[in-house]
Amino acid sequence: MFKTVKALAKGLGTTLRALTEPRDTIAYPEKRREYAPRFRGKHMLARDEDGHELCVGCGLCEAVCPANAIRVVAAEAEPGKNISWTDRYSVDYEVDLIRCIFCGMCEEACPTNAVRLTPFNELAAYSRLDMIADKEELLHPPVRK
Amino acid sequence: MIRLTIDGQTVTVPEGTMIVDAAEKLGIEVPIYCYHQALGPLGACRMCLVQVEKMPKLVTGCTTPVAEGMVVHTKGPAVEKGRRGILEFLLINHPLDCPVCDKGGECHLQDYTFRYGPPAGRFAEAKLERLKDAPVSELILIDQERCVLCQRCVRFLGEYVGEPQLMLKGRGVETVVAPVDDRPVDSRFSGNIIDLCPVGALTSAAYRFKARPWNQERHPSVCPHCPVGCPVTVTAREEHVVRVEGRPIPEHDWGWLCDRGRFGYDFAVAPSRLLSARVAGRVVPEVAAVRHLANLVRTVREQHGAAAIGVVVGGQHSAEDAFYLRHFAESVLGEGVRLAVSQTVKGYLPLALNGTYDDIGVADAVVLLGSDPYRAAPVLYLKLRERWRRDPQLVRWGVGVRPLSRPTLPLRELRVGPQEMAATVAWGLFSQRPDDEGLRLLTESLEGWQPRDPEGARALAATLLDSQHLVLLWDGKEPWMEAVLGVLTRLRGEKGTRVLPTFGPPNLRGFEWAGIPARWGALEDLLQATVRGEVRLLWVLGADLLREIPDYALAAQALERVEHAVFEGLFPPEGSERFELWLPGAGWSEEPGTWANLEGRLRSVAEAVPPPGEARPVKSLLTALARALRQPWTPPEWNPYLGAEGGLLPREGEPTAPARLPRPEPTAGDLYVWGEPEVFVGGYPSENLRPRRPSLLGEIHPVDAAAWGIGEDGGELGIERFGRRWTVTVRPSAAAAPGMLILPLGAAEAPVNQIGEGPASVIPRVEVERR
Ligand code: SF4
Ligand code: SF4
Ligand code: SF4
Ligand code: SF4
Ligand code: FES
Repeated sequence: MFKTVKALAKGLGTTLRALTEPRDTIAYPEKRREYAPRFRGKHMLARDEDGHELCVGCGLCEAVCPANAIRVVAAEAEPGKNISWTDRYSVDYEVDLIRCIFCGMCEEACPTNAVRLTPFNELAAYSRLDMIADKEELLHPPVRK
Repeated sequence: MIRLTIDGQTVTVPEGTMIVDAAEKLGIEVPIYCYHQALGPLGACRMCLVQVEKMPKLVTGCTTPVAEGMVVHTKGPAVEKGRRGILEFLLINHPLDCPVCDKGGECHLQDYTFRYGPPAGRFAEAKLERLKDAPVSELILIDQERCVLCQRCVRFLGEYVGEPQLMLKGRGVETVVAPVDDRPVDSRFSGNIIDLCPVGALTSAAYRFKARPWNQERHPSVCPHCPVGCPVTVTAREEHVVRVEGRPIPEHDWGWLCDRGRFGYDFAVAPSRLLSARVAGRVVPEVAAVRHLANLVRTVREQHGAAAIGVVVGGQHSAEDAFYLRHFAESVLGEGVRLAVSQTVKGYLPLALNGTYDDIGVADAVVLLGSDPYRAAPVLYLKLRERWRRDPQLVRWGVGVRPLSRPTLPLRELRVGPQEMAATVAWGLFSQRPDDEGLRLLTESLEGWQPRDPEGARALAATLLDSQHLVLLWDGKEPWMEAVLGVLTRLRGEKGTRVLPTFGPPNLRGFEWAGIPARWGALEDLLQATVRGEVRLLWVLGADLLREIPDYALAAQALERVEHAVFEGLFPPEGSERFELWLPGAGWSEEPGTWANLEGRLRSVAEAVPPPGEARPVKSLLTALARALRQPWTPPEWNPYLGAEGGLLPREGEPTAPARLPRPEPTAGDLYVWGEPEVFVGGYPSENLRPRRPSLLGEIHPVDAAAWGIGEDGGELGIERFGRRWTVTVRPSAAAAPGMLILPLGAAEAPVNQIGEGPASVIPRVEVERR
């Protein structure tokens, strides 16, 4: 009997002690964790100061990607209607975020520094197709709150 | 033979070989830009520096012939330093374009810089700016900043083709490659400079930004546009063909293409392409169309037997397709189904006489019998010119109704009248060998007849009989020429006599190999039986009968008369309303298959893309049809090759026996209408090549042009033949003989087979204008 009470008290004691200890979890999504400055999350496509896309559709990211996650289709802009800073631009740019292993090689290969891995990592969707980020999506990177 | 040592390995090569070629034989790579075996050494780029012992300085491996006992080093500090220096110089003014450059990933400058170049240049000055992405023609763009001045393009067009349309302009650092006189580079071999350019200075406008080496698939294949059958590499990306390149085959082929083959691949996505099945003009699901065809087959077979079914196959199919068709006809449709190949001429060449391109390489005499290879078989023309450049003594004759000579390949001309070629050749031969029985038989009917140029005919006969290795190109227009060629071959005995037939649907030999009767006679019989009402169901596959057949009236009558006409193919045919059922077919590059060229050489065409829309391969169509007929049929296994890929069909059979030639009839009329193949006019439609299609199709002699009121810029000419009037666009041209109107085959605006070859009268201009 005494033994039981003792065990109970010990258990409660541990619980009470733990209540005052600092927590390992956070109240996500109200609170968010600080990431390392070079954290690699979802991709984005950057523009220059004039609003021209930096990506010229060279496909080097596609070539280097170890997961085969990128598809780039380039095209020639109509004269005087450049979309990127030169007459070559990407009409299609897709990243399959399910395949991607976030190695960052695409970012490294890009000669124009157009594709960048943002710290945004909240990747979830109800279908696989939704996990393929198209160009529109990449040009408007979500901001991490 | 000469023995030398390269990097410690000994190699024996023929005298006159350059060091780079000797090294290649050992599998040692020496970087090169300007050198090309077909163009010969130049020594412009200095990329190929190697070290030769006992020579004070580095030498260029592409201009230094090997010598007995030579010791060459292609590695080592001296060579490496030399290469580094050259590359640093080449890159001084080279733009940093790789990401937007179409050559990126397959560029020799990238590769060599990566392998041998300096890690960084030392020139900090601004780079010179020059013309970028400027068109040299509708098909090709130049970027002068990227050029390494190797001059391959300049030399290929100027020396190899003989049409100097590019040149080096400026001096020193200002030197650029530019079109001569700012005129577009419109040689029909211009596309080869894209392949030749080691960097991204000359690029294809059609391929611009379409793909990268890592996101495309390359398939070895064969060009389908003319009987030459050049080996090509087809580049596909995401289910579209985006490029066609030449595919060199060591010892056999340099990999040259004409622009027809290089840029004409876009027919697959042409707007007129048949993408769905139609019954009586209405789009129906493919299944319904197959059921409809099965019903037709069943009805016709029940009422009239299988012999009332006729099948004509044309130039859009592989040998396998033809084989499946024949097997299907025999085992499913039933006994007696008539099969034939669509034809463009009435002539036929027995395989026994058929030559190869290698024969050109050893020929001492070349005779063009009506063929204009420049128009009908462009790359064959290049082969002839190369042979002549190697051996200026080569005896060359052009026998035709019009001059076949060009400045780039002058010939001795022998002019014959229309339908007089066989007679002229036989007459000449008979004058040389009057005691020959075969010739006597051939010329029996020519008693008292004389060719237009008897002297020339005799001289030609002397060449035909005395040359050691004779190569003849034949246009196939006079079927009785076959017998003359047979007699000639027999007369020449041991001496090489080889004929290259420059006519026919591109895969004629393939169909023949698959067992479809390949002579005109088979087609004629079939059509005549149709006209007589014996054939009730005519199934035409991949052939544009009314556009290509030499006997238009017969085909038109047959299609008029036949109860049911069914068409399968890529494009709605001429007179398509006469076909009650259209089935969309898979074409070149959309199904794997084997094609035979005019040499009778079999090569594989790869499946590079899926067929568009509801188009399907013949094999699957036949399987579906068999199922609809409730008759089981499994496509048989067939390996068309006897040996390896690229092998020749067996040269079996005997040369044709002599038979009496028809006596040439004198012709009357203002102009004689004459049709000739021209690769840029006939065949598949192509948006890419629209600028290359002549806008004025017909050609008449300048004197005739003046007489009929056609100015130098050409114009319209009204002609009347068989009581029908036609208006054709013509231009004055030295390629036409007086009294001849030359029209390209297969043009819808001037359907020469429909107009009919023969004398026509010209409708005076006033009357034309009044109309
Ligand atoms: S991060 Fe790595 S895996 Fe992901 S797309 Fe870029 S290269 Fe591919
Ligand atoms: S030519 Fe070669 S090196 Fe020059 S920009 Fe193009 S890919 Fe780069
Ligand atoms: S354009 Fe190309 S092929 Fe012509 S000289 Fe320049 S680098 Fe050579
Ligand atoms: S010569 Fe004939 S086969 Fe060769 S590329 Fe031209 S069209 Fe094609
Ligand atoms: S390849 Fe030898 S000098 Fe150009």
